[in-house]
Amino acid sequence: MEQLIQHVINGAMVGSTYAVVAVGFALTFSVLRVINVAHPEVFMLAMFTGLVVVQALTQNFLIVLVIAATAALVAGLAIERAVLRPLRRADLLMPMIATAGVSVFLQYGVQGVAGPDELRFPRILPFAPLEVGAITVTSLQLITFGIAVLILLACSFYVRRTRWGLAARAVAERPDIAATFGVNVSRVAQITVGLSSFMAGAAGVGIAVLYGSAWSFVGLLYGLKSWVCMLVAGNRHIEAVMLVGIMLGILEALTTAYVSSSFRDAVAFVVLIVVLYKRPDGLFGSYSY
Amino acid sequence: MSALLEVAGLEVAYGAVRAVKGVDLVLHAGEIRVILGANGAGKTSILKAIFGLVKPRAGRIAFQGQELRGLEPHEVGSRGVAWVPEGRQIWATLTVRQNLVMGAFVNNKRAAVERRMAELFDRFPILAERRSQLAGSLSGGEQQMLAIARALMAEPKLLLMDEPSLGLAPLIIRRVFDLVREINASGISILMVEQNARQSLRVANWAYLLENGAIAGSGSPAALASTEEIRRVYLGG
Repeated sequence: MEQLIQHVINGAMVGSTYAVVAVGFALTFSVLRVINVAHPEVFMLAMFTGLVVVQALTQNFLIVLVIAATAALVAGLAIERAVLRPLRRADLLMPMIATAGVSVFLQYGVQGVAGPDELRFPRILPFAPLEVGAITVTSLQLITFGIAVLILLACSFYVRRTRWGLAARAVAERPDIAATFGVNVSRVAQITVGLSSFMAGAAGVGIAVLYGSAWSFVGLLYGLKSWVCMLVAGNRHIEAVMLVGIMLGILEALTTAYVSSSFRDAVAFVVLIVVLYKRPDGLFGSYSY
Repeated sequence: MSALLEVAGLEVAYGAVRAVKGVDLVLHAGEIRVILGANGAGKTSILKAIFGLVKPRAGRIAFQGQELRGLEPHEVGSRGVAWVPEGRQIWATLTVRQNLVMGAFVNNKRAAVERRMAELFDRFPILAERRSQLAGSLSGGEQQMLAIARALMAEPKLLLMDEPSLGLAPLIIRRVFDLVREINASGISILMVEQNARQSLRVANWAYLLENGAIAGSGSPAALASTEEIRRVYLGG
């Protein structure tokens, strides 16, 4: 039993970072109606920005986190301005293909500079194990989990309790109507992409510290899993996307422990197939387009 | 009397299809004017062009003497124009209250929003009762009331109404048109597009007849109602 709880806790820690990336992905899709394939690369860019900051400037985790997440925010806004905005009224496929191009460019661009291998990310957080009975959690895990939860709560607060969050929901459901009531849809798009990118950046640093590595192609799998989380949850409630992200992490941990680690990355897609077969709008509903 | 809204030579096309062909129309402050026309006549395209939701191919649209063409929809919305779109188009996933708050997105001082909302809840008690309910759960008539109340939250000078009677029960339709008159009496000018000639001519000061994207006739409701075509096509006589 203790072992099961241990796996669930480990899975939830990883799942919380899936949730952060997936929520950003879902927010962008809901509000801009585009699949931003380059979103996970923003996450990867933050990892490498964090690595540069650690090597050249400071090992203070908070400063590294803020600088890397800000770099992700700037990268996200640049993608929004240069690629997404000009294609706003285009067919869904166009921005998807365009951002896929950006994604490949960033992956190979970073690989060209940093090399094809995983780079070691210094452990800039304490690794003290905390034991409760037979269950062990490291302070590293707790801090990254805590940050992920804080980010998710802040995001939920923004969407549910602020004026621009309400506007974002109105744009997600009926962009033209929102515009006629004075909502600057471009501004909402910018805020949404900026927020999503900042969150992805923070998650990127968290994952880099947690696993102790940075890799130019890390975004591939994270991107696919974020997409899965959004499709499984549906994009109507971001809290549902958060929940599915955490559940996916737990499911992966259990698969690794009780089935085989070879199947770990396949779990997400099995869940996706089953859910879409039964509920094409996702478990908690989607906006209709 | 100077025009509040003046549309001249308006042309709207979707690809090769010309939806609006050189439409001229005028609305003075305090008036209710209606554009009558069948499905596909180009009525909604005129309203969308005013709001910048479709880009006209030619013509001018002046509101209070200022050109609206070239403005983004949110800029038009910020100038005192609000609309009640066809089919209500309320935000179904937001609550009634949130819909109203969004209606006041431009004039969003908290005290003013609360005051306006209280006034509208007095006028629409059903919305007050359902303020915390998701708007998508309201009946068709209630959704129409919400769409109208949402537009009034913007404190507009001009209200554009797109087929406010569409899909509603006869009793509710009568209530909606009474409401149009009340809103107008409070100082808001109204440009409405409709198929329901009987009701809209009852409340309008002036009416235009739109056929295949062009104005086929215009006049006072009494004069228009007496024409053979209006009686035959719209009034069932």
